[in-house]
Amino acid sequence: MIQITDEILNNYLDGELSREEAEQVKAELRTSEELLRKYNALKLVHEKLFDMKEDEVSPAFTDKIMNQIVRKKFAIPKQQKYFIVSIATFITLLCLVIFGFSISAIISSAPSSIGESKSVLDSVSNLTDGLVTTLKHLFSGSGLSIIGSIFSLLIIISGYFFFEMQKRSKANLGNGQQL
Amino acid sequence: MRNLSDQEIIDSVRKGNESDYSIIIDRYKNKAFSMLKRMLKNEFDAEEVLQDCFLKAYNSLDSFKGEAKFSTWFYRIVYNTALTRLSSKKRKTESEMSSVEDHFDLESHHNADDIEKKDIQEFVRDIITKLPERHSAIITMFYLNEMSIEEISEVMQITVSNVKVMLHRSRNSLRDLVLKSKLAEELL
Repeated sequence: MIQITDEILNNYLDGELSREEAEQVKAELRTSEELLRKYNALKLVHEKLFDMKEDEVSPAFTDKIMNQIVRKKFAIPKQQKYFIVSIATFITLLCLVIFGFSISAIISSAPSSIGESKSVLDSVSNLTDGLVTTLKHLFSGSGLSIIGSIFSLLIIISGYFFFEMQKRSKANLGNGQQL
Repeated sequence: MRNLSDQEIIDSVRKGNESDYSIIIDRYKNKAFSMLKRMLKNEFDAEEVLQDCFLKAYNSLDSFKGEAKFSTWFYRIVYNTALTRLSSKKRKTESEMSSVEDHFDLESHHNADDIEKKDIQEFVRDIITKLPERHSAIITMFYLNEMSIEEISEVMQITVSNVKVMLHRSRNSLRDLVLKSKLAEELL
């Protein structure tokens, strides 16, 4: 006769004993009331655990996660976001500087008062001439080389981000094909 | 679509049909939530951690090679995230080494009279939350999620025999409580 331990009783309940061992446990259960009581209590717990009901998450749970996934998919990466903001700021500043410089140049080259000129047409033509002269001055000689250097730098930085983007999409494609 | 296997759904998600991931969420959310609720002993934390788990699983879908079942892979994420949350909250947690020397005394939480006041089903449900985290995780995975001992051992990264020891120990504790109650005389 084997000693019926808790371990054996649990294994018997799970049907993990050999046929011979199971027969021995069965015989022991027939003779020992105490063991039968223990076994029945274990079986009751086992059955009640199987009857356990699932807990439920809040109703909008799935939608909440799907929204996060979609939002993340269309979100611009942080690094890219900084780049776009800095480029936009730079271009805006550049435009403002050019505009301010042009205006000041026009004002200094124009007659002291618009009212002194013969007609409105003349004053418009004077303003256009001033603008053209200023732009010519800005895009010639040292001015052009400074602007050229700035744009070259921008092209290099953009190239880096474009290369990174290409690399990422290639990696995604590769992962998809791994299936 | 609802009858597709996990692997088929994952393949579809990987091909760009992100919306199919909602089928996976609907399939596992309540089972995983039940496990987390019992491990973390807090409904709010459980739902928050579960959200993290689904997002983590979605972002790591490419690393799922299909060698194990998706459910095993996903429950491993759930189990590990729960352990991380427990340790970050500096709550009492068990060592991640496969020690089974978890001492717990359910009788200090419940006495025999409690059982008479409640339905035995309700009593069992309540007492599981009093078990140590790993024991309640095993009970939930085995009984509610109907996972095999082998799958549970894969999820928890411990040996099959350790899973069995912990499962038996939890069952024996519940059995002892039932035996001490008067209800047992009527039921048994």
